[in-house]
Amino acid sequence: MPELLVTVYDVFIRTYPGFLEATLVTLQLTAVGVILGTLIGLVFALMKISGSKILQAIANIYITIIRGTPLIVQIMFLYFGIVEFYTMSNFWAGAIALGVHNGAYIAEIFRGAIQGVDPGQREASMSLGMNRKQTMQRIVFPQALRRSIPPLGNQFIITLKDSSLVYIIGVAEIFSLGNREAAQSYQPFESFLVVGVYYLVLVMIFTLLLRLYENRLDVDKT
Amino acid sequence: MIIGENIHKSFGDLEVLKGVDLHVQPQEVVVLVGVSGSGKSTLLRCFNFLEMINEGSITIDGKKVDPKKDNLTKIRAEVGMVFQHFNLFPHKTVLENVIEAPITVKKMNKEKAKKLGRELLEKVGLSDKADVYPSKLSGGQKQRVAIARSLAMEPKVMLFDEPTSALDPELVGEVLQVMKQLAEEGMTMVVVTHEMKFAKEVADRIIMIDQGTIIESADPQNFFGNPQHERTRQFIQLVE
Repeated sequence: MPELLVTVYDVFIRTYPGFLEATLVTLQLTAVGVILGTLIGLVFALMKISGSKILQAIANIYITIIRGTPLIVQIMFLYFGIVEFYTMSNFWAGAIALGVHNGAYIAEIFRGAIQGVDPGQREASMSLGMNRKQTMQRIVFPQALRRSIPPLGNQFIITLKDSSLVYIIGVAEIFSLGNREAAQSYQPFESFLVVGVYYLVLVMIFTLLLRLYENRLDVDKT
Repeated sequence: MIIGENIHKSFGDLEVLKGVDLHVQPQEVVVLVGVSGSGKSTLLRCFNFLEMINEGSITIDGKKVDPKKDNLTKIRAEVGMVFQHFNLFPHKTVLENVIEAPITVKKMNKEKAKKLGRELLEKVGLSDKADVYPSKLSGGQKQRVAIARSLAMEPKVMLFDEPTSALDPELVGEVLQVMKQLAEEGMTMVVVTHEMKFAKEVADRIIMIDQGTIIESADPQNFFGNPQHERTRQFIQLVE
């Protein structure tokens, strides 16, 4: 056992400069995936609650396709699909795939949060003479946003881990570096252990930040 | 102030209101009573167009409302409503709850709205709670804020939908006190409640609704002293 610790430590020391760079790439992938996913999610959530049958149908098709196919297939599809028409770096192809993928899940998070706001809130707002738009903007959305923060945080963590799949199109993020390290050093066990630790630490930091943010939001407000 | 004529309302196959006629005079306090499921809350919600009637007509302040053509938000702004479960906005402070509609609907400037808000909070005895969030209030305090919030729109009539039913018994009095004060100031009110003491003291008229129709309409003395309908007698026995 101590021997294993020593070899893992060796691998860690030898590889950390590369991994720090790769961590940065992973974080960038996650950031783009999350921001793009949130924007897409917002648009599709609004389409789903819009009351327009056509918009709802479009949103449903999008969500069904994305949730019904593996992310790795979507990455490949988008990568080769985009490259057909437009030259784009692997990083951006991967990041956009992550965003498009996330959008479907985040749309459902937002929709659930909006529909989860007590109908009494809408009634109270309407009874005061506020119209539908004012009611949504001033009363429903702020409450829905608050409700959606815990599941969004969860989705962000999933995105961070899912970004590892982008290694398939050759983006130099954490997993892809670990993969290379494993092959070159003939130490796959130690290499992937190190990879796992990097993700674990990142997720723990993320979780902590989210918890701090949630606590701050909760002060005084239900 | 409110004239409801031949109001019919169904939810699916269930006909909840079966041709209700009700005229509420300016400054009148009308208390609606009846067993649960009788349709009294639905009637109240129709007056605020939170429910749309299937048949009949509603006239508010001399204007017959056509839900298809008229701007319902404008009409709702003139009809205040207080709900059983308060429905305060949890993400806004007490004062923000009160001034929300004057600012967004009436475009009142913020300073003026705040002044109005503070006056109304004082009226319901909650000046010291202006800056706290609703989650910090007791049920009775929440309901008083809800009343202040409705009053901020300077409604011509106030509807109360079982305003004390969700409250602990010891908190009922403070809400009824505020309502009584409003009645004394001449506010037109339609109140759905099970508080018979309030009905006796404050109502100009008590109306018994049973299975979607009005079966009794009388001043408190006659309503309790000389009820005409058998169902009213049973109801009075039940609640007293």
